[in-house]
Amino acid sequence: MPVLDVRNLVLWYRTRKGPVHAVDDISFALEPGQTIALVGESGSGKTSTANAILRLLPKNVSRFEGEVRFDGQDVMEYDDETFRKTVRWRGISMVFQGAMNALNPTIRVGAQVAEPLMVHYDVDREEAADQAVEALRKVGLSADIVRRYPHELSGGMKQRVIIAMSLILKPKVVILDEPTSALDVMTQTNIINLLKDLKNAEGLSYIFITHDLGLASELADLVGIVYAGQLVEVGPSEGVFVRPKHPYTGKLLASVPRLRSEEAPDFIPGAPPDLTDPPPGCRFHLRCPVSFEKCGWSAAEFVEQVRLLQIAEETKNKLPAIAEMTVKGDLNLLIKPQPNGTAADFAERLNSLIAGNKEVYRFLKSVESVHPRTKSVEVKLHEGTPPPLFGEEWKASCWLLAGGGA
Amino acid sequence: MTASVADAPAPADASPPSAKVIEVEGLKKYFDIGRGLFRGSVHLKAIDDVSFSIARGETMAVVGESGSGKTTLGRTLIRLLEPTGGKLLYDGQDITHTKEKELRWLRRKAQMIPQDPYSSVNAAFPVYRILEEPLIIHKEGDHAQRESAVMKALQSVKLNPPEFFANKYPHMLSGGQRQRVAIARALMLNPEFILADEPVSMLDASVRISILRLLRQIQHQFGIAFLYITHDLATAKHFSDRIGIMYAGKLAEEGPVGAVLGEPLHPYTQALMNAIPDPDPANRLTVRHALPGEPPMLISPPTGCHFHPRCPIAQIGLCDVKDPEWRELRPNHHVACHLAT
Repeated sequence: MPVLDVRNLVLWYRTRKGPVHAVDDISFALEPGQTIALVGESGSGKTSTANAILRLLPKNVSRFEGEVRFDGQDVMEYDDETFRKTVRWRGISMVFQGAMNALNPTIRVGAQVAEPLMVHYDVDREEAADQAVEALRKVGLSADIVRRYPHELSGGMKQRVIIAMSLILKPKVVILDEPTSALDVMTQTNIINLLKDLKNAEGLSYIFITHDLGLASELADLVGIVYAGQLVEVGPSEGVFVRPKHPYTGKLLASVPRLRSEEAPDFIPGAPPDLTDPPPGCRFHLRCPVSFEKCGWSAAEFVEQVRLLQIAEETKNKLPAIAEMTVKGDLNLLIKPQPNGTAADFAERLNSLIAGNKEVYRFLKSVESVHPRTKSVEVKLHEGTPPPLFGEEWKASCWLLAGGGA
Repeated sequence: MTASVADAPAPADASPPSAKVIEVEGLKKYFDIGRGLFRGSVHLKAIDDVSFSIARGETMAVVGESGSGKTTLGRTLIRLLEPTGGKLLYDGQDITHTKEKELRWLRRKAQMIPQDPYSSVNAAFPVYRILEEPLIIHKEGDHAQRESAVMKALQSVKLNPPEFFANKYPHMLSGGQRQRVAIARALMLNPEFILADEPVSMLDASVRISILRLLRQIQHQFGIAFLYITHDLATAKHFSDRIGIMYAGKLAEEGPVGAVLGEPLHPYTQALMNAIPDPDPANRLTVRHALPGEPPMLISPPTGCHFHPRCPIAQIGLCDVKDPEWRELRPNHHVACHLAT
């Protein structure tokens, strides 16, 4: 039985621009002793997923739902007090990003490590102190560290203290949010080695949040690739790192500059979408090198892409001049050519542009039909829908995988 | 963009240009960090006896951990800081202690790209004004010439169409686009040398590579020499010609990228390479070899080789006593280690 089973988790934030779809239907399961790395660019929703699991929510939450099964219990049903007493820190703890700089500078390290014990289990001071020494020993720090203040410690030592705090209540799951992001390379390696040791010695399950695929591969049994609030691929690391199924995972892996390969890193064109207004269909289709009819192009996106073609150096003369483009619903638009061109002529040029260039400018594939009217050309687009996750043990949400292919 | 802007007047003696843009020899920069009543004056040796050169049109990367002195090195090279000792030559001309007033030509020939694209440009100016400003300060060209230079610079950094971006304000641009504006600004005065101090560390992973590629293109297109300062050995490998590894205020090793990373001679370089994982599912099954300890404090560095307390092959009686010499152990490939062979 999985120690943690997250199903259809949703967390939206309310803002003046509308709801931010930070976590939008994320599901994964974690067996005891297993580690999942959640990898994605900044703003993709990795940390929000962790916060949603631990129910650490800001005030502006507009939607929060789904199931979080911990040890077989749906803990989303618990009230806040029960959740705090039985799940958070006791069952699932977290190493927050930058936490080593949030240690209290006026309290000795030992007392800070012991604090959760006194709050949660009402242990007496001596017992708590003993356990703090034991927890610090486990993370490779000597007993005399309990009497030191945070400013007396190096960055690597402070991060070890934070890890000791996350382990002191003996949780089954530890969430690690960029646990090495502020550390130097060598210190980072020492911390990762410590996390590997602890995982094996204590049978811990980690949720390892990082933007660094190399680091992810240091700990991950499972990899989850997060894009625009969704898990686009999740599977065993032997698979995902080697033969990625989702085009985004492939592009992400190709963008990593590698020390042990001469292959030049490539970049991903465009930028991640605005999560107050996520793109229709597959959220990656605008940046995808292999997108096609079904991926969910909207008329508004089509108009935007045609404008880009008109200003780009290599394509600006491929279409006759346009007077106006009007969006008529999600899948229909009207293009009005300049008075010196006819609609029939424009339609013909558009059709030949599509035929000759749709493999390069993938949005052209979305055109279902082109009809010349009297003064303008009506363009109708294929209907697309968001792809579900295809696969069992190893899932990816891409229409190219429909029908069990790839 | 070469045509529109008049060439900068050559420095005092118009001797033929040297093959090296920058040469440093035994460069030192110490910071005086106060005189305690009982302890005399205390120095922080941010750069201590560093020697290397950068040829025209080449990119040299300086890689080091935080506090290794790499940022101070960059700032000293373009004389934002005055060296404490050693020699700094620009184009063969000694500028180690030249007065700021006499460095106006350097302010034109050597430019920098800042780390943080969010705070390095004036938020109240549109892109056009941000790019025009260096020309106004250096009294370059008339209005029309300046305009054409701005548009060409925007094209060089792939902000197309230039008229569209010229009227934008910084807050309307993404991080990657702002960094392109900062690069365009550095290009306005036709520099020979650009200092890029962690130019992509604030950007998203997917955008980083496109900016580094752009810098590489600009280097080739305009023949500009770059000093790329970074903590990221992997990007240094893919985007530079030569690489210097810095540790505790000194260069540990320096040479062509292929040589330094193909056959690292210094134990620190070897350890650094071991510590960095490429994405590989086999990584989780092994423990990565890493050095114990942390880099030393620069106010009280270890005696002898600064690296000896962490070095896996250090010899007591040698490495902890004697400063290692800066040796050219392979052609063009220098190392500071007693034991490297």
